This record gives sequence, structure tokens and C-alpha cells, in this order.
Amino acid sequence: MANDLTLPRLKSDDLPIVISAGFVLVILALGSVYTVATLGTMPLLSPNYLLTQLQTGAFLGIVAAGMMMVILLGHIDLSVPWTMTAAAMMATTVGGPAAIPTGLAIGLLVGLFNGFGVAYLRIPSMIFTLGVDSVMRGLMIAHTGGFAPQDSATPLMRYLAADKILGIPVAIFVWAAVSIVIAAILSRTAFGKAIYATGNREAASYLSGIRTRWVIVGAFVISGLCAALAGLLLAGYSAKAYQGMGNAYLLPAIAAVVIGGTHILGGRGRFIGTVVGVILIVLLNSVLSIMQMPEAGRQIIYGLVIIIMLLVYGRTAKVTS
Amino acid sequence: MLDGKAARPFAELSGVSKYFSGARALEGVDFSCREGSIHAILGENGAGKSTLIKIMAGVVQADTGTLTVEGTPHRFSRPSEAAKAGIVCVFQELSLLPDLSVADNISISDPPRRFGLIDRRAQRERAEALLARIHCEDVDPRALIRDLSLSRRQMVEIAKALGKNPKLLILDEATSALTSRDVETVYNVLAELKAEGTGMLFISHRMHEVEALCDTLSVFRNGRHIETFDKGARTQDEIVKLMIGRDIVHKFPPKPPALSRKPHLAVTDLKWENRLNGVSLSVGKGEIVGLGGLDGQGQKELLLALFGVLRGVEGKVTVGGEGGIPSSPADAKGGRSRIALVPEDRKTEGLMLPMSIADNLLVASFDKVSQGPFIDPAKSRQAVADAIAQLQIKLNKPDDPVASLSGGNQQKVVIAKWLLTKPEVMLLNDPTRGIDVGTKQELYRLMRELADKDTAILFYSTDYAELIGCCDRVAVMYDGRIVTEFSGDAITEEALVAAALNITRPADAPAREAVPA
Repeated sequence: MANDLTLPRLKSDDLPIVISAGFVLVILALGSVYTVATLGTMPLLSPNYLLTQLQTGAFLGIVAAGMMMVILLGHIDLSVPWTMTAAAMMATTVGGPAAIPTGLAIGLLVGLFNGFGVAYLRIPSMIFTLGVDSVMRGLMIAHTGGFAPQDSATPLMRYLAADKILGIPVAIFVWAAVSIVIAAILSRTAFGKAIYATGNREAASYLSGIRTRWVIVGAFVISGLCAALAGLLLAGYSAKAYQGMGNAYLLPAIAAVVIGGTHILGGRGRFIGTVVGVILIVLLNSVLSIMQMPEAGRQIIYGLVIIIMLLVYGRTAKVTS
Repeated sequence: MLDGKAARPFAELSGVSKYFSGARALEGVDFSCREGSIHAILGENGAGKSTLIKIMAGVVQADTGTLTVEGTPHRFSRPSEAAKAGIVCVFQELSLLPDLSVADNISISDPPRRFGLIDRRAQRERAEALLARIHCEDVDPRALIRDLSLSRRQMVEIAKALGKNPKLLILDEATSALTSRDVETVYNVLAELKAEGTGMLFISHRMHEVEALCDTLSVFRNGRHIETFDKGARTQDEIVKLMIGRDIVHKFPPKPPALSRKPHLAVTDLKWENRLNGVSLSVGKGEIVGLGGLDGQGQKELLLALFGVLRGVEGKVTVGGEGGIPSSPADAKGGRSRIALVPEDRKTEGLMLPMSIADNLLVASFDKVSQGPFIDPAKSRQAVADAIAQLQIKLNKPDDPVASLSGGNQQKVVIAKWLLTKPEVMLLNDPTRGIDVGTKQELYRLMRELADKDTAILFYSTDYAELIGCCDRVAVMYDGRIVTEFSGDAITEEALVAAALNITRPADAPAREAVPA
């Protein structure tokens, strides 16, 4: 790892990615030392274990991909948990071939609404999306209140989330496809460049003729769509949709984006960093539970890792700039 | 005139060097300045002036060499230590907090306290006293900084510095944002301070200010102290030669003979709130039209209105006989009108500082280098290379952050960004503010080249010399209206000043004096 840090011609945006990738290796190494000592084997390095982790990571990875678009603008999308839940619940209620389009439509609508509130009504995203999250929760409770709607996932949802192609979980392919699309948008399209520009300095972007409001709406729509897709997959994985299914995804998604080197105030960050951030968080959780760390210790270590990594990034940024 | 003051200097630097990540900012500088005198520091951007004053003001620390203040060696690790020793700096980048009041800002580092809490009344009285000292009694200490014009903010900045009782006051481009009226005030204040025995270091790109104010001049170039001499010991031409290390033949490019041109940009009776009160103006293809007048008479608002930034603008705007008032910058830039605006503040309105030079150059024209939904790497590389070559931007790699460039080169990036959109109308809002002499001349040449290629240019400047040297016509604004237009040889400093004060046509003058909001 020390070698990685001293590599010449490394851009400051890449440093967090190198550091977190190094940390992933450290986690695997420490975990393996532990398992060798206790079990005499190294299950952490088996393809099977790693593929399972990637499958778990797929849901988080898709949420984080959408979240990154919004964070790059210096905004945040706190409506993710109940966007996931609502998309999944509405999809299972409708059922049949219309299930997935329905779920995605929910994500699209929530994204449009969030974008409208932030870009046109100029309400801070942290407040607006929190409100939207709460409204969605209310709507979903109302939805299940009077009667019990159908809540089992369709076969296609199950296939996408839980099946395998050539021994590789399909969810990983879905995550990869989403990643390729988002990475291409960010690095190769005018919209992607506009996101970085707007996140850096909205006034200068506006005065350069960028339609900054559309850019903000676009980013929230992508975040809504990604959350909805993750909700659909999660429902497929658990075979059904249920209240609060998205709650565990909000903070890890934000953490993954930030650990991956995206600046929380917007404007900087590479997509590959978010992928590495997701892998780091998933592996950290998994290895800590394999090491039979009690819940209290796990939470403390998890939080400390995030804080320490950001401290390290802050230091390195100062040195390089 | 300095006889009798031959006592030991107040502050003295000897053998001071400073390197930023290997690049030389200052090398082996010996420099001294005394109390009761105004000392100008001259040099192009990147000559080391800013580093020099940052070392003296405790913002950065010298790598080698010593700093002696009143005979005692010092090594300031923060500005408050320098202030304690009597050195206070008014920085070029305004350091005021926009959401706090004038009084809060003036006393921000050491507010008057009562029982451990801030004594608001004492603070307000202190602000009033300091503002009165710089003849700005009309600034309300309770007003928020964000509601003041740039010029007034700069005055508050000076008041804040005086509040620290400096023995040596450093003014870094402190007059570049000031209106003519405030500049006059600052001159008087500086003269008073000098009489009271305060020493001043004065950094300015405006030669006539330096001539008018300073007793001693020091020239820096490439991080070295070239020469120090008394005012009058050298001619302006000699000074400029020392600064850039070469001769300057022409200050402004020659103007083409005046011809009557068909209006390309035509503005009729443009109104916006109470800042624009019926502006009518036309700019022909290939013509450079200057906007003159005192600061805050609606010039900036006019440019913003033409670029589609302001809401609720009334009146008629046509470009090439078509179109209306643009609804947004995106609208102004695209379509048939093809308008470009080089904004007032390049750091916050013109550039995304952490982003690369290449991205900043392309940010207004990604649609032009795209193939379908994707940006074409070959096309964008070519566009960036062309832009860099056309404006001779001095850079290391196009992938470096634009923040790594000097001020003049940053401004070139802003202009090059717009040239990539192939504009037919260029609106320039004080594009040479805070830029070194050499780059200024390049920009004047560039403006003329663009005009020769049929671009219509509307150019606002606070520097009369620029308006006289560059423009085919100058329209002078007063209270949101154009009061006079001059063309050809009629553009003289006397005529511009008279028209700016609206003394040629007293019958039209509104009763109130237009003070910038």
C-alpha cells in the first residue's frame, strides 16, 4: 500500500480510490489471518465467498451510483429508503410483466418531484428529500393499511436478484450494467460534465450557458431510478416487498460515495471510487461478522473507519494541492 | 522629499526566498519600507508581489531569510501575530463575511466585550468611528455586507484594517474594485494616514494611481527585487520596461477608420427594476463599443440583461434583426443570437477553479464537440489545443486545475471558453481587472482581432484609458440610461469624465445622486 501512495503522477482525485482499494486488501488479509488462526482455512479468498459479497453489494452499489450523481452536485437524496420501498411495494402490488416498469416509474416520479423542489423551488435538498421520504412512508402505510396487497415478487424480479448465470449472480450483472451507464454519463457526456461543473460552482456554470436546473432535476431522476431498481432487486432477493426494506441502505450509500473520494460538497469524485467504496463497506461488515465481533464493536469500528479514511483524504488533499 | 526620514526602516526583509512545491515565488529578496511613506510595489502577475506581502502579513512563512520589524527579528506564523507587530494587510480577495453586518465584520477578530459577551453598541460605535475616518459615513454599520456594492465592501475592508491600528498598512489591489468616487476618498485617506506616520505598501496595476500616490517605487520581476527608486526618478516607459523586462511599442492596437455600420445588436428602451431606465444602444458587426460612466450606473445590469440573467426585463433586443430578450444564458448563447458574456468576477462567475483547464475551456461548448450523446475525445482535444494556441495561454498541461494558472491566464481561459462557441456578440464586463500589463495588451489586441472578424463587442471598463484606446464608440451611462455617445477622436478623458458626472446636459440630470446600492 505504501508503494501505491508514492506512485508518481497520481491525481489527487485518484488518491482516495487507491487508499480505499488498499484498505479492501487489508480487510481481506486481516480476515484471512483470523480464519487461518481459528479454522485453518481461508474462506474469504474463495470465489464463492467473494461472489456472494458482490451480490450483496449490488443492491448497495446501485443505490450509491444514483446517490453519487446527487452528491456530485453538492446535494443529497434522503428519500432513497422509501423510494426503494415504494417502488418494490407498488411493483409487487401490480405484479406480472408490468411490475418492473411500475417500480421504475415510481422512482422516476420521485426523482422529478425531488428535482423540482430543489432546482425550481430552491428548497435545500436535505430538507426537501427528507420530507418526501416521510410522505412516501405515509403513503405506503396507507397503502397496506386497509387491505393486504399482494407482496410477492414476480419471477423476473427473483431472477434478476437471486438467480445465477454460469455460477455468477445475475444481480452482479445488473450492478455492472448500471455502473457502466453511470460511468459513461459522468465521463463521456455533456450532461456528466455539466454535473461536475454545476457541483463546483453553480453561478459560473449558469453563466456558461448550462441549464443548471435541468441538470439538478436529471441527477435526482437518476437517483430515484437507481433507488427504485435497487428496491425491485431487494424485493426479488427476499421474494417479497415489506415496510422499511430500504432503511438500511441510506447511510451506507452515502458513506460508500464519500469513502470512494467524492467530495461531499460536490464537484469532485470518480465513479470507480464509489464502486470501491461499496465493496469496502460490504466486506468490512461481512469480515467483522465472521470474526464474531459483537454488534457494539462492529458499529464502532465501522464508524471509525469512515472517519479515519476521510481524515486521511483531507491530509493528502492538502499535501497535493 | 524623503530627507529627514532617513531613520532605520520600519520593516526589513533580507535574503528572503519562498518556493511553492518547487516553483520559485521569491528568491533572495532584500526589501525595506519605512513609516510615514507610501511605497508602491510593481510587477506583473506572478512577479512575487503577493508572496512578498503574504510573508510580511504572516499568511505564509519564508523558506529562508529574515524579517525584521522595528529592529526585532520576527517570524509570523499567522496574520494576528503580524497585526500585533503593526503590519496589517487589505487583501485583494475580499475577506468579509457576507451574512454579517458591517460592524460585525470590522470587529470580527477582536470584538469589544462586556461581561464576556459582544457589546453590540460599542461595536457599532467603533464601526461608525472607523467609517468616518475613511469618509464613508453613508455606510450603515448595521447593513449586511452582501447588500453593499463591491466598491463599498472594499471600503469596509479598509476600515477593518484600520481598526487594527497598523503601523504598516499593506494594500493589495485595494483600489481595483473601487468606483471613481471611492478611489478619490481612498487617496485622501492614504494621504492622511501618511501624515499621521503610517507606512503603506501599495500594490496596483494602475500606473496613474502609483504616480499620484507613492513616494517610493519597487519593481519585482520573476520573484526577484529588481530595483527601488524615488518617484520621478524614472519615466513610465522605463518602469514598464523594468516590470516586463522588454520594451513596449504600442499600448493599444491601431483602430480601423470609422465607418458607419449596420447595427447588429440593437437595444431599444431597455428597462429593469429601477436600475435600467430605458437604455437604447446599438453595436455593429466588427465594432467595439465601450460602456463608460461611474460605477453602478447600470452598466453591469445592462450586460446581464442582454445575456438573459435578469428576470422581468422590458424593452426590445434584436441580434441581426431577429429575436427578443434572451430568457437565460443558455438561450443567449445558443440559437441565432450567439451572445457571450465575460463576467465581472472570474473566480466565482467565470471559472470552476478546481476543474481542469480543458474542462473549463469546453464547458460552454460540449455540444459542439459531441458525437450523438457522447463527447468526442479527438474533437475536444483539438478544440482545447486551438483555444490554448489562439490565446497563447501559458500552462503546463490542459489537465491541470485552472486554479494553477496566473490571474491573466485564468481570464484568457474565460475568454477562450466563449470563443469556442463562435459568438457573434461579445459582452465584456471589466475583463482586465487585476491583470498584468503584458496580458492586458494581449487582450486589447485580441478584442481588435475579433472585431476584425465581424464580432460585435460591447465592453464595460472602469479604466478610462482602456475605453479611449480600444473603442470605436463609447456610450456613457448615468442613472440607468445612456446620456452621451462619443466616437472617434471625440473620445477623450475630459469628455468621458464630464459625461460620467452628467455635467454636459444638466437639464436631464435626475435630482438624486446615484449611489451604488
